[in-house]
This record gives sequence, structure tokens and C-alpha cells, in this order.
Amino acid sequence: MQQDVTQGATTVLEYLAKPLKALQEWLSPVLPGDEWAAYLAFALYVLIIIGGALGAVLSRNLIRAMLGLVMTFLGVAGMYLLLASPFLAFMQLLIYVGAVCVLIFFAVMLTRNTDGGEESRLPSLGQLFYGALAFLAPLAVAGPFIVMHAGRQALETPKTESTASLGAGLLGSYVLPFELISIILLVAMAGAVYLAFRGYAPKRGGEKT
Amino acid sequence: MTTLTFFLLASLLLLAFGIAGMITRRTLVGMLISVELMLNGAGLSIVAAYKSVPAADGALGQLAALFVMGLAAAEATLILAMLLVVQRRFGKVTARDISVLR
Repeated sequence: MQQDVTQGATTVLEYLAKPLKALQEWLSPVLPGDEWAAYLAFALYVLIIIGGALGAVLSRNLIRAMLGLVMTFLGVAGMYLLLASPFLAFMQLLIYVGAVCVLIFFAVMLTRNTDGGEESRLPSLGQLFYGALAFLAPLAVAGPFIVMHAGRQALETPKTESTASLGAGLLGSYVLPFELISIILLVAMAGAVYLAFRGYAPKRGGEKT
Repeated sequence: MTTLTFFLLASLLLLAFGIAGMITRRTLVGMLISVELMLNGAGLSIVAAYKSVPAADGALGQLAALFVMGLAAAEATLILAMLLVVQRRFGKVTARDISVLR
């Protein structure tokens, strides 16, 4: 079985070798060195993130905005892969795309905010102005700071930590934050259930909440 | 310019998009979507910083990002319940119309 998988991967690589070589030669004036594929993937993920975020912020239909959000989540998962954290990329897909997006979908549907809802009108001119201001402000404040304080020499390539070391950290040195986050999740869930069912409880003479 | 700069700029972009969405969205649901954008940028910057600085423990950065994800999940759950209450009480979830506390 292992043999077959390795052989298959080798065959795929051989099949792709020629177009990859041509791509590298085509890109060599712009992206020199051995890391051209990483830079290419980074540019692709940034494009995915920007496109998704534009959809999430500007779309007049909240379901489409949620789909843009899913796109952004996928781009960020790709970034985690580039940062040599495959477990985190997997968790990003599992938690964000799997759980948070379903919650947002429920929120959109339960408040009847689909097409033709409150968001379907364009924001007013003043709102758009303040939105553009709010978009530019963090870029103008923190962007030059980040660029000015950029390191001079190249950093070493990040290493992949094993998932076992992550688990050892969670149950070893960092067991307190781990338990705290469990309690926070439990309290949030309990509070959510209480809030959602409070109005439906049978009245017993008390005032309706 | 190291790779850390690029990753930090990408997460800064996510933050900017999130804030702009907070301003321009009218409903609480749209604001929730913007908050998730910003939280993603936060997680990305944490992991990028921990992975790029040689002295830092990379596993610690991943754990911090995992905690951010857990907080985001808890926050989304709670906001869903709040939206239900607001919808039942006011009939709509636009930020402009919710102006009473009791």
C-alpha cells in the first residue's frame, strides 16, 4: 500500500515536471532562487484572501458575504500551510469553515436577512466614506511601521512541529489556558441555550421576559 | 523585507477589511462576519510571528492561534443566541434600531 502511494506520487511529479520547469523559467526574472513556488503560492493565497474579503464586506446579499468569508478562511488555511503548520490549517477548515460558517448561516436564516433584506440597499455616501477611512486608517498607521521594522537578513525556513508536541503543550505547560477555554466554550453554549429558550418557557404568573 | 513582513501585511489587510465591514454593515449579522475576518487576521499574525522568530517556540504560536479559534467559536455561538433574542424583541437586527437596554 505504502509502495503504491509513493509510486503514484512519483508518477504525478514526473508528469508535472515539464510544465513546472517551464513555469519556473518563465518566472525566473521576477522570482529568483529556490523559493519561487512558495512565493507563487503566497501570491495566490493573498489573491484568494483579498477577493474573499471584498465579497464578505461589499456583497449586498449576506449569504454571498458568508461565501466570501469561506473563501478568506480557505486562503488563511493556505497561509498556515506555508507557515509549516498543517495541523492548524486543518483546524482552520474544521472550526471556521465547518462550525463558525454554519453558525453564521443559521444567524442569516433565523433573522430572515437573505436577499432583499436590510443589507440589500447600498450604504449611504457618508457610511461609505467612513468605511473607506476605516479601511485606510490601520493600513496607514501599522503598514509603514511593519515595513520599516522589517528584518534585513532572510529568516530560516519554519520547521514543522509534530502534532504530538502540540498535544503535550496543551496537557503540560499550558493546561490552565486549555481548561479555561473549555470553560468559556461551555459557558457560552449554556448562555446561548438559555438566551434562545428563555422566551419560550411556560409562563408561571411572572412577567414575560 | 523578510517573509514575516509579507505575512504581517496580509493579516493587516484582513484587519482593515474587518474594520471597514464593521462600519459599512447595517445588520448585526454583517458585523459578525466582519469580526470573524478580524479574528482570522489576528490568528495569522500570531502564527507568522512565532514561526519566523528563531528564538520563539513555534508550537506555542500554534497553541495561541488555536485559543483564538476557540474564542471565535464561543463568540459566534453567543452572538447567534443574542441575534435570536434581538430579532424576537425588535423584529429586526439592524444596529440603528436597537437603542433600548431594557
